[in-house]
Amino acid sequence: MSTLSTGHGASTPAGGGSVPDTRRPGAARDSGRVDLMARLHEWTVTVDHKRLGILYVASGLFFFVIAGIQATLMRLQLVVPVNDFLTPDTFNRLFTMHGTTMVFLVGMPVLLGIANFLVPLMIGARDMAFPRLNAFGFWLFLFGGLLLYYSYIGSAGLYGAGSTPDAGWFMYAPLTTRSFSRGNATDYWILGIMVSGFGSMTTAVNLVATIFSMRCPGMTLMRMPLLVWMMIVVAVLILAVMPVLTAAQVMLLFDRSLGAHFFNPQQEGSALLWQHLFWFFGHPEVYILILPAFGFISEIIPVFSRKVIFGYPLMVAATVAICFISLGVWAHHMFVAGLSPFLNALFAASTFLISVPTGIKIFNWIGTMWGGRIRFDVPMLFATGFLALFVFGGLTGIMLAVVPFDWQLSDTYFVVGHFHYVLIGGTLFGIFGAIFYWFPKAFGCKLDERLGKWTFWIFLIGFTLTFFPMHISGMLGMPRRIYTYQPDRGWELWNLISTIGVPLQIAGVSILVWNIIRTLRRGEPCGDDPWDAWTLEWATTSPPPEWNFHEVPVCTSRRPLWDRKHPEDPDEHYE
Amino acid sequence: MSHAPRGANKGEAFEMPYSHAIPKPTGAPMVAAAGITLIFAGLVTNWLVTAVGVVMALGGAVAWFRHVFPDEQMEPIPQRAITGDADAASDAGASRGGSVALSSPQGALDREALHQLHHGPRRLALPLEIHPYRTGIYGGLAGGAAMAFVACLWGIVMEGSVWLPINLLAGIFIPGIENAPVEALREVNAGWLLTAAIIHTIGSLFIGLLYTVALPMMPRRPILFGGILAPVFWTGLIWASLGIVNPALEKYISWPWFIASQFAFGLVAGLVISRFNRVPTMQFLSLPERLGVEATNASSEEQSR
Repeated sequence: MSTLSTGHGASTPAGGGSVPDTRRPGAARDSGRVDLMARLHEWTVTVDHKRLGILYVASGLFFFVIAGIQATLMRLQLVVPVNDFLTPDTFNRLFTMHGTTMVFLVGMPVLLGIANFLVPLMIGARDMAFPRLNAFGFWLFLFGGLLLYYSYIGSAGLYGAGSTPDAGWFMYAPLTTRSFSRGNATDYWILGIMVSGFGSMTTAVNLVATIFSMRCPGMTLMRMPLLVWMMIVVAVLILAVMPVLTAAQVMLLFDRSLGAHFFNPQQEGSALLWQHLFWFFGHPEVYILILPAFGFISEIIPVFSRKVIFGYPLMVAATVAICFISLGVWAHHMFVAGLSPFLNALFAASTFLISVPTGIKIFNWIGTMWGGRIRFDVPMLFATGFLALFVFGGLTGIMLAVVPFDWQLSDTYFVVGHFHYVLIGGTLFGIFGAIFYWFPKAFGCKLDERLGKWTFWIFLIGFTLTFFPMHISGMLGMPRRIYTYQPDRGWELWNLISTIGVPLQIAGVSILVWNIIRTLRRGEPCGDDPWDAWTLEWATTSPPPEWNFHEVPVCTSRRPLWDRKHPEDPDEHYE
Repeated sequence: MSHAPRGANKGEAFEMPYSHAIPKPTGAPMVAAAGITLIFAGLVTNWLVTAVGVVMALGGAVAWFRHVFPDEQMEPIPQRAITGDADAASDAGASRGGSVALSSPQGALDREALHQLHHGPRRLALPLEIHPYRTGIYGGLAGGAAMAFVACLWGIVMEGSVWLPINLLAGIFIPGIENAPVEALREVNAGWLLTAAIIHTIGSLFIGLLYTVALPMMPRRPILFGGILAPVFWTGLIWASLGIVNPALEKYISWPWFIASQFAFGLVAGLVISRFNRVPTMQFLSLPERLGVEATNASSEEQSR
């Protein structure tokens, strides 16, 4: 028996199933003055997966802006040779915080936030399996991030350079031991990321439980939307690798605070042990960041091509294969660490192997578009941009999997260019596509199409200007993480071009932010299903009511909404 | 919907989670998360921050617990949505050729009857009945008292001091006792006494609870197992590990007396626990029913009576 009580903040109209008006953009003007504190309280105590998803994304975008500022400062330092705009120590702190923020406080939360919002809707559930744990996970992530950033003022005063982590986002030992990393900088990194990691793990547990136990009638595993498949694999990966990172962090904390020496080679410890533990987390982390983007693309491309996804079972199999293979490729980050030739060959082979399921996905997306009636709305623009950029980033990844090639280019700007192509060209383009595609579902109105296209083209040009030249400067021998360089190395032009791309990226993101604010304030309602889509989240109102569906949906095929729209030609006959 | 959905088991009731109500908002998770963060933050700032974190984390956890137990705090879904549920469910049920039962106190089905209807008799998991858990506490305390009596008797008869066994037990946690002179071990020491009392009480309670769970599983003669066999087993275990856990005790221990004290514990605890009537296990109840979040029809009727 449950104890029922009426209303909190967003009251429900008696007998009505519609969403309160105040949750629609522009409604604030209609409903008069909104009590800000009441709204704030409402969002603070919420356990609704949709609101938590929005909170995740909003927090992630906040950290994204901070990380962008850090990246801008770094590019300004490198725009000309022998520049003294930043000190070496400040530069170290900037690249450390930029990397840490982008991976742990932008990528993961935004992707998990979108998953939080969408997964229950896509499987026809009322909420996540553990709604309160869901809220707990979000707050852990946010407070963990704030704890990390507290290091700026933590122990060395405001602007506090003395206490901000500065050993890189990978925190290699023994650089992080007490001898080389004094003060509490590294401790803040350990503790902040550990708390955030707990949040990610709780969300992963929640996703697994939700997907396996909350599906609506008829929603078999092989009828789930591909995004849901991607998210179950991501959740499993998080549960497999985050505890390893946490354990390594605890060991490092013991080294630093209790006199242990797990990672100190001078006392029988092993610096390589940290690398193994970190990259056992770190490479699957790349897939944790890219697989949800694969999911977004897998939902967007069919709708805007007006075709069923090509090779659904193979896409599922490829996703699961990526999950398993990704757990066995971590040492390709350590080709120059002195492992045996046999191990290098083994990890090179596994890295080549993982390109097979990834390639299958690429060809299936292209196969979906082939012969389709493609509409190049903004989500589709970002999806096609994703395809081009991710393929390029993937190919440079294959190049780096060749051990002799990696020996030459390891720790150069070629690697920086490669992973930015994968993580921005892949993950971030996927996120932008998802924001444009599902914004109407979350807020009831479309983002402006014209501004969206401006965002896409300006950001694409800026991105290409910034990161493509890095491959060239890397091949010319420019090492990563240097704070300045001499003028006779041939790197000046490429660094100048890279820095010129930065304001264009800032402009693109600024237009997006303006577009979001403008739409939230003055957006016109666009209906429940503005893209004429086929998955269950579009079968409810936009934005959905707190209970998601007025009726328990019944799934009859992989495209339940198509079946409802076209009862004369349902999909189940073809599956 | 006119299409038969595959993937839902034919004839079985489908229960949509949160079909009539959704969880009520609560700030408890946020408070708990803030507390945990402060616990960690205190490690690099000040121990008071950790202390505040502990208080907040506990407060958040308690508030969270009370939000869910004994009854989950929920908000009703407006009637129109529930009607929609029913319609949709009927649709689904009709298309499957079976009925769809929604989760509601009035419409809840007897899960066991439903299972028997569709799958025949359920395979039973032994034991079917266990002693109430509280009997483990009684048995543990009684057994612990008997064991302490025998141990103190050894101290008086063999070593001339009732405090020696007590001080030796404290050596599990307190460093340096193994190097203390025997005269010191024969004297009363308040700190050591308190430590030994805590160790002995907690240990006895845990073993008592273990007995409660284990005794019903023993074939035929639980007292034989609890009073004789189990003490023999763990005496062997202690004999093998005592040198690591408590070197001081190993130096002074008299194994016959030690085994006697174990028998005293086993017999007394077993006798006390077996005096209580057994209660049926909850193996046929769903997780929400075990947690007290939901009630079966039977228990609802009992409550209403």
